[in-house]
Amino acid sequence: MTSFEELTTKERPTWCPGCGNWGILTALKKAIAELNLPKHQVVVVAGIGCSGHLPQWINTFGFHSLHGRSLPVAQAIKLANHELNVIAVGGDGDGYGIGIGHFIHAMRRNVDITYIVHDNQIYGLTTGQASPTSEKGFKSKSTPHGLIEPPVNPISLALAADCSFVARGFAGDVPHLVKLITQAVQHKGFALVDVLQPCITFNYLNTFEYFYRKVYKLEEDKNYDPTNKVEAFKRSLEWGERIPIGLFYKEERKTYEDELPQLSKAPLVKQKIDNVNIDNLFEEMC
Amino acid sequence: MVKYKIVFERDVCIGAASCVAVAPTVWELDNENKAVLKDGNKTGDPNIFEKEIDEKDLQLNLDAARACPVNAIHIVEKETGKKLI
Repeated sequence: MTSFEELTTKERPTWCPGCGNWGILTALKKAIAELNLPKHQVVVVAGIGCSGHLPQWINTFGFHSLHGRSLPVAQAIKLANHELNVIAVGGDGDGYGIGIGHFIHAMRRNVDITYIVHDNQIYGLTTGQASPTSEKGFKSKSTPHGLIEPPVNPISLALAADCSFVARGFAGDVPHLVKLITQAVQHKGFALVDVLQPCITFNYLNTFEYFYRKVYKLEEDKNYDPTNKVEAFKRSLEWGERIPIGLFYKEERKTYEDELPQLSKAPLVKQKIDNVNIDNLFEEMC
Repeated sequence: MVKYKIVFERDVCIGAASCVAVAPTVWELDNENKAVLKDGNKTGDPNIFEKEIDEKDLQLNLDAARACPVNAIHIVEKETGKKLI
């Protein structure tokens, strides 16, 4: 039995009090506890940014990788031992900026990992520059006259890249976020949970109040079908007075691991390697 | 020995339920979807509730206070009146 308390570390987060990151960490711990995942079978991998500190404050295995590189590390861990539950976390600058190539290819590859993006629409750790998801016209230290380019739409992008589970949560609604993360971890394949995560210190536009006024839950629309990709794409374009959260799209298809014959009998980490000789390869390369 | 108290500003609460997730023994949501400080005492202000806590419960309640997105929860050192959060 894995409890919420067991997942809580002695060291406490250094995030600003009231930061949306608290809600995400809380929801992630609740989801792991509700799924009763053994702590030693969970790995949380992070990139760089405020969100990147998260593995330090959850009592599972963790890996703090490089900027934008949480997904390559997470995929490698999953392929080395596909019995593990691998959860990657990162920010919008980390994942949708420098890491966007990895993001697209991990989705179409459909490696069975969960990717939680702390999307605060700003570079918070570096004290407030426009990020890939900052809104057009957004004024920041790096864009004092307003941001010229339109933002990356991670939900539309994920749908276009054949992501098999696409969801958006809100750090200000923890019970709803727990449900989304739980479904994402249970999903067989790459699961994106983009989380609207207000940065209370540097983003004065996309605040908790801003999102409270605008967000609505897709599941409250009884006619919404999360297996309909065209409808999901239409909803993904909705951003204004109303902003949808919830499960946009889900499909069942084989994971990357399913298609690798080398993994069909056992995880790589459990396979014998005493019959493997790489001397010739070394000689060729040297 | 009681050293701290929780001070809760209910009119500030927006019902994010972070406190309930972090410390379900201390917090719950009511039918208005706002947080309720379990066994909290009323004060002179109808929107302010307080509850004394022991040192052993301090860390859990600090976590709940930090998790609140609108800073509706405060932790105060009783003897000095110093606001920790």
